[in-house]
Amino acid sequence: MAESKDEILSPDNSEDNLKFRDPLISGLDASDGEMESLSLDASARSEPSVSRSSSLMGNLSRYDDCVDEETQDLFVVVDDPEKHTSTLEAYVTFRITTKTTRSEFDDSQFQVRRRYNDFLWLRQKLEEAYPTHLVPPLPEKHSLRRLDRFSPEFLKVRQQALQKFLTRLSNHPVLSFDKNFQVFLTAKAWEFQAHKKHGTGILSRMSDSIHNISASYMMKNRSPEFTLIYEYVQNFAEKFGVIDRISQRIVKEQTDYVLELCEWGPIYTLWSNSEDQLTTPLLAMSRAVDICSQALKETIETTEDNFSQPLKEYILYTDAIKAVLRRRDAIQMEYESTIDELNKKKDEREHVKISDQTYSIGAFLGKDPEDVKQQKQDKLEQQIEELTKKMEDLNDRTVCADTDLRVDMERWHKNKQKDVKELFIEAADRQILYYERCLKAWEDAIRAIQAKEVSHDTLESQGTENSPNKASSSEERGDTMEESSSTSEAHEGATNSEPSV
Amino acid sequence: MADDDSIPKYSPEGLSHDSVEEDPFENARKADKKNLLQWMEIAVAEPEKRVVTSMKVQDTFIVYLVETRITDKNIKYNGDGTSSLWRRYSEFELLQNYLSITYPYVVVPPLPEKKASYIWQNSPTDKFDAEFIERRRAALEIFMLRVAAHPILSQDRIFIGFMQQEDGWKESVYLTDFQSKAESRLKALSASFRLQNPDRQYDELKNYCTELESNISNLLKIRARMADKLYGIHKIHGNYGRVFNEWSGIEKEMAEPLQSASHYMNVFAQSVDGILEEEEQYADQLKEYLAFADSLRSVCRKYECLQYDVERAEDNLSYKKSQKEMLEQGKTGGTFSLSGMKTKLFGSDTPEQRDQKLKQLDEQIKHTEEEVQSTSQELQNFIDASMRDIDRFKRQKVKDLKEIFTNYAVMQIKQCKKGIAIWTSAKDCYTKM
Repeated sequence: MAESKDEILSPDNSEDNLKFRDPLISGLDASDGEMESLSLDASARSEPSVSRSSSLMGNLSRYDDCVDEETQDLFVVVDDPEKHTSTLEAYVTFRITTKTTRSEFDDSQFQVRRRYNDFLWLRQKLEEAYPTHLVPPLPEKHSLRRLDRFSPEFLKVRQQALQKFLTRLSNHPVLSFDKNFQVFLTAKAWEFQAHKKHGTGILSRMSDSIHNISASYMMKNRSPEFTLIYEYVQNFAEKFGVIDRISQRIVKEQTDYVLELCEWGPIYTLWSNSEDQLTTPLLAMSRAVDICSQALKETIETTEDNFSQPLKEYILYTDAIKAVLRRRDAIQMEYESTIDELNKKKDEREHVKISDQTYSIGAFLGKDPEDVKQQKQDKLEQQIEELTKKMEDLNDRTVCADTDLRVDMERWHKNKQKDVKELFIEAADRQILYYERCLKAWEDAIRAIQAKEVSHDTLESQGTENSPNKASSSEERGDTMEESSSTSEAHEGATNSEPSV
Repeated sequence: MADDDSIPKYSPEGLSHDSVEEDPFENARKADKKNLLQWMEIAVAEPEKRVVTSMKVQDTFIVYLVETRITDKNIKYNGDGTSSLWRRYSEFELLQNYLSITYPYVVVPPLPEKKASYIWQNSPTDKFDAEFIERRRAALEIFMLRVAAHPILSQDRIFIGFMQQEDGWKESVYLTDFQSKAESRLKALSASFRLQNPDRQYDELKNYCTELESNISNLLKIRARMADKLYGIHKIHGNYGRVFNEWSGIEKEMAEPLQSASHYMNVFAQSVDGILEEEEQYADQLKEYLAFADSLRSVCRKYECLQYDVERAEDNLSYKKSQKEMLEQGKTGGTFSLSGMKTKLFGSDTPEQRDQKLKQLDEQIKHTEEEVQSTSQELQNFIDASMRDIDRFKRQKVKDLKEIFTNYAVMQIKQCKKGIAIWTSAKDCYTKM
């Protein structure tokens, strides 16, 4: 029995030959193994009719996955969020513009509008159809920070996330050819609605049931390769979670700091109200502080949009990976249990072969023992045949699933490296920009402080009533009397000579 | 205004071979030097801890080395032209107190605060902490330089003795009996309330003091809170350092860049300590002007006391004059008076008695007139002198604050550049991922 098991598993076995199909499904290049990073040439695609998105086109290189330049033949752009209000609800749609040279598409250009729920539908369909492939995540339905889902900031962030989603899809060698994806990109509104309702899709046998989850734990023969992937993903998600939390804490401290700055700056302005010869320096200080606090405010907002959101999305991505791992495990589980069953049946067959059916139930019922034996043997043969087929099928699926995941993980790692690099470079740039703005503000302040003070004489000539001996700028009491009595009008003088306060 | 006969010897080592006893201060005055810093260097250095046991009680305190050195070759002196002795904070206080009382028309430079206030939470409050002592030393030096730069205060013998008279300086201070010239708080308070004709300038100056104090203390208060937040921001970045390090453990190609980046996150976190230490300087400079406001207010208070004296003398005079008038006219002064009663009961004065009284009143009037004159003169002198010094103070203040603000801006620029450098290095690490 042991050897038959080995026979089954070894490819050289002639009797129960398992056919190993090429795991690479048709449609993929042989060059799929070598990924070169693509820097999209914006000029090739920009057109006047989509001028609004041309800048985004230029930025597409930010979101692109690693794709072979020569094979890139599907480009998708998300932009132009618009709010719609119907009787039942208010929602936002985005414009999806597609350009392609693929023959599967009827045309080379398409433009449609889709809403977030449409994306949800698409993702669900893809997960059902390709349970063993890594489907990119979508941003969460609601943001905890931005409560107004129609605010321009929220929409901008969502648009970027949706763009990333579609770009990753279009660069995926398998997912990009999905029919639902094509419909999503091309169908007009009514077509699309009908398709959504009607579309049966391939009902996935691999739903993420408890069965699947438990499969991972009961796995006996899981290749260490996948355990490693699981552990890596687990650790990675944890690290990103920590980074996200750290970032939130920093933002909180920065927000508090900004509040203090907003209180601090005005004190200099108030102080300038008491001084006549220090007005310019004091106002310069106040202005510099204001500029710094403004710069920090903007840094905080940008951090939320361009750092926290992508971080969270990557954590969602790891959830998707874990789901694929689970499904893969489930397939392997089923494959293994099928093998067990098959072996059992084969054992039974051997057993029946040498058995004596004289005392079987069939004989008891009056049948010829030989016939009973034959019947049983036939039945077993049939079962064995079915199980063998099932086992082959599952073996295929296991191998496919393994390869799909392996290939996707390789791509994911490359993309992750690129994405992470860009994410942190941008974060560093943000800090540098903040410091540069503050630097300039203080340099300007020094210039203003050191500049020749708008002369006391000018102030004198502006205000007249209060002191009669204004004209004499001697060093007597009269001088100081002017100073102290002109503090009240210095304020007006200040506003006259300092237009931008 | 100080009168001190004991001229301290410049060279403590004893008489030099020069037969002529040179007093460099006298020589400097003859050479038309306006203040000490024009020909002398002064420093407060080297704080040291001293422990003194007296009557079984141990007293620990810090002493500072006060050093001087003559830098102008044209001023003749005996010895090597240097001096140095140890002074503790309480002696500085005594000096400052003496100067404030002896020269009430001068805006006397203030001392650093006795106890730290408006400090950022991690700043040292312990008076034996090295940072605190260093900051105090710097502030004491500034105090000495300001006094030495003052045309009037720098000539004071007690001040000179503070720098050069090792033994018996305290006694010589008390010998001046300066405390008797101090105005009681109560008098000052009542003076400010009861003035009939106050000079508006001083009222305005008092208002200015209040505003200045309020503005500066608000600045300091919020600055301390800002320091807390800035500290938090930087230190939390240190956590990035830790997690980058851990993360590098599960990566292959990204491992090295992550570790380098981790290092820069730690650098960023640690940089805050230097930043906040520098910013304490700014706080100290503002605190000095906060204390200056109080000094300025003292001058105003002295004015009010003097004005009060004048008004009282004038009131006295007019009262006495009206008394004389009534006596001359034989009236018994108003509807009800003691003399009126007396007249009714015992009969009016005899001509001799009346003459006596008139003579007395005349004397008193003459006396009071002299008083009015002297207090008015004193008041006028005070106003002249104080206004001159207040003017000097104002000009100094403008210069100082411009410099203080400029220094703060320079500090900020330095910090920004440092931040840019650190984040650029981190960015370099990221580009290698």
